Amino acid sequence: MSNQNTQYIFFSGKGGVGKTTMACATAVHNAEAGKRTLIVTTDPASNLSDVFETEIGHNIRPLGVDRGVENLWGMEIDPDRATEEYRERVLAPMRAVMPANVMTVMEEQFNSPCTTEIASFDRFVDFMSGDDESWDVVIFDTAPTGHTLRLLELPVDWSKHIEESAKGSGNTCIGPVASIQENKIKYDEATRLLGDSTRTEFTFVLQPEGTSIYETQRSAGELAEIGVQNTRLIVNGILPEDVCDHPFFQSRYQMQQHNLERIRNEFSVPLTFMYQRDGEIKGLDGLRHVARDLFSTGEHVPEYVLGTQRAADEPLPYEEQDSRSLLDTVRPVNGKTRAVFFTGKGGVGKTTVSCASAFALGRAGFKTLLLTTDPASHIGQVLEQEIGDTITPVVGAENLDAVMIDQEHAVEEYKERILSDAKARYSEDMLVAVREELESPCTEEMAAFDKFMWYVEREEYDIVVFDTAPTGHTLRLLELPFDYADQVGMMVTTTGEGNTAKSETQARFDRIIAQMKDPERSSFGFVVYPESTPVIEAYRAMVDLRAAGIDTQFVVANQVLQEEYCTNDFFRKRRTMQERYLGEINRRFQLPVTVMPLFETEITGLEMVERAADALFAGAVDRNQVSA
Amino acid sequence: MNDTGYTVKIEIFDPPMCCAGGLCGPAIDPALLDVNEAVLTMKNQHGIRVQRHLLQQEGQAFMNNPGVLALLQEHDTDVLPITVVDGKVVKQKTFPSYEELLEWSGVEKKQETTV
Repeated sequence: MSNQNTQYIFFSGKGGVGKTTMACATAVHNAEAGKRTLIVTTDPASNLSDVFETEIGHNIRPLGVDRGVENLWGMEIDPDRATEEYRERVLAPMRAVMPANVMTVMEEQFNSPCTTEIASFDRFVDFMSGDDESWDVVIFDTAPTGHTLRLLELPVDWSKHIEESAKGSGNTCIGPVASIQENKIKYDEATRLLGDSTRTEFTFVLQPEGTSIYETQRSAGELAEIGVQNTRLIVNGILPEDVCDHPFFQSRYQMQQHNLERIRNEFSVPLTFMYQRDGEIKGLDGLRHVARDLFSTGEHVPEYVLGTQRAADEPLPYEEQDSRSLLDTVRPVNGKTRAVFFTGKGGVGKTTVSCASAFALGRAGFKTLLLTTDPASHIGQVLEQEIGDTITPVVGAENLDAVMIDQEHAVEEYKERILSDAKARYSEDMLVAVREELESPCTEEMAAFDKFMWYVEREEYDIVVFDTAPTGHTLRLLELPFDYADQVGMMVTTTGEGNTAKSETQARFDRIIAQMKDPERSSFGFVVYPESTPVIEAYRAMVDLRAAGIDTQFVVANQVLQEEYCTNDFFRKRRTMQERYLGEINRRFQLPVTVMPLFETEITGLEMVERAADALFAGAVDRNQVSA
Repeated sequence: MNDTGYTVKIEIFDPPMCCAGGLCGPAIDPALLDVNEAVLTMKNQHGIRVQRHLLQQEGQAFMNNPGVLALLQEHDTDVLPITVVDGKVVKQKTFPSYEELLEWSGVEKKQETTV
């Protein structure tokens, strides 16, 4: 039975700001208030299981019955499982009559990249269309901003695509218009609910930092465009004043206070302020601790000392590596262009580490291109200059150019290219049909990927540094050449010309795959900060990459507290926690680990980037020395 | 029934493709563009709609036509595309040309008789 009063609460924000923690604390709070509560994550690299300390997975599961919490369920949407379910709904009725080989071909068809996106999205919309079960509250813990915006825009895009196609060919990627009217109704309903402020609330989590404020402003603007009105902010990670006695933390405290002032002035929505804790927030007790502050009323005094600090685990022994090893790992070999990919959980500092590395590599004499594939990128903020979708030299840096893959622009270019190919040979009507098919939302993914390949194939640089989107979506991007290669392999060609097109495309995908698997031409590294979720997430991703034949080459441990600043209990406890995870990183990855310290301010502007570069490649580098 | 007065039902059972017209994938087979063009011309100049069925979207249609199902069971998907006119298989393994579509639709015959 559908519940006409279900409340939908979305949590979004830049990676690493504490979205999942806030979403989980909100879920626990609602459940304990007696409401039937479901928490769903749409992040393909979900940390829900880690936070609740219980395996969740693709099915709706009770989360706390054995620990005294009723009314609480959770689910992690798994794109692969969602695709499988979607496929089975369509294929099951055919199994009885169709020969096995035909079924196999059809199953492979469903592995197409578009299907995966549609299936995950469909599962998400199912929750919004209100006919699942009678939940009082459904909480969405979403993937980092860029991809979440895309998810929320999809119902609008698909609905429009279905409408347009009805006037034209009557067919869409997801089926003939006649048979998917139902979907259109579902998508329209989801869009309506997103804009209904009595039913849907949108919470942005941010930290008192410039980049976090910037991203929140940008996303709030885009959400307003699709009609989402009811938003509020949680400002997380605020340093308590009385623990910031050391000048290093005083400086960070001042920086935060300045940004808090900006937040108060620049946002006219309800604000909630949350302290950083002296340890990691895990399990139900940790979540209750957060919920107490989050839903406090009246005279409640926020508390940053976790009552549940684990017994003083012995830190695992760890060794800091010679940071020169990172340079050895990524410098070009035998004159071949090298692609260096920095990936990892949202918020671990991929962008700053990428910028600092690119800066250092350029300074060392390598012709370097810094490129971002993250739709919510802020390399422009870090470098303090405009970085657009054409290659531009970075002013004030040596041998360094930068560029950002702009999704919308990539789509336009891709469409233009296909259309101009078609223009020469076909009628106006035909062009209309091609254009219509290109309007499909799947094109966007293909187009962005096409652009990505174009940069991977550049050979005029010594090094191309990729600042990538957070793990889940990056893995997906890296799997695309494999998926598309399979798709092209199945492509029917009935003409000689078709065969040529097919083999050219196949050769291109094979080339890209070979390049990514060649450790001399591609280096994959994870950026983490020494806490549980980034380490677990990176480790899982490393295993996935290995399965695809790509070996990870290095780890950068970022935001490491330096011992000399940790002069009180609060930071000593945090430092001890970090040491435990630094040991864990060594043990799990068995790779060179470069430590990047936490700085007293944000890394913006070339002066700070240079300091970060010095810290990252301490003791290195000039070209003569390294290329000798 | 169409506006020129005769009834004919032409269907193309497509091979597996990424999307309806096969025009959105990483590489486009010119044969798909050609057949699209032919289908559009049939519709716009002669008012005849050629129906296309995609295996993964309309598997039911493939099972409902005994001729198509039998061919599939015997030759697998290699036999696609199959063109069916008024329920009967008229072409397999390659897409029909515009001229063939015209012929099957009866447009030419009608023109001849009126001349």
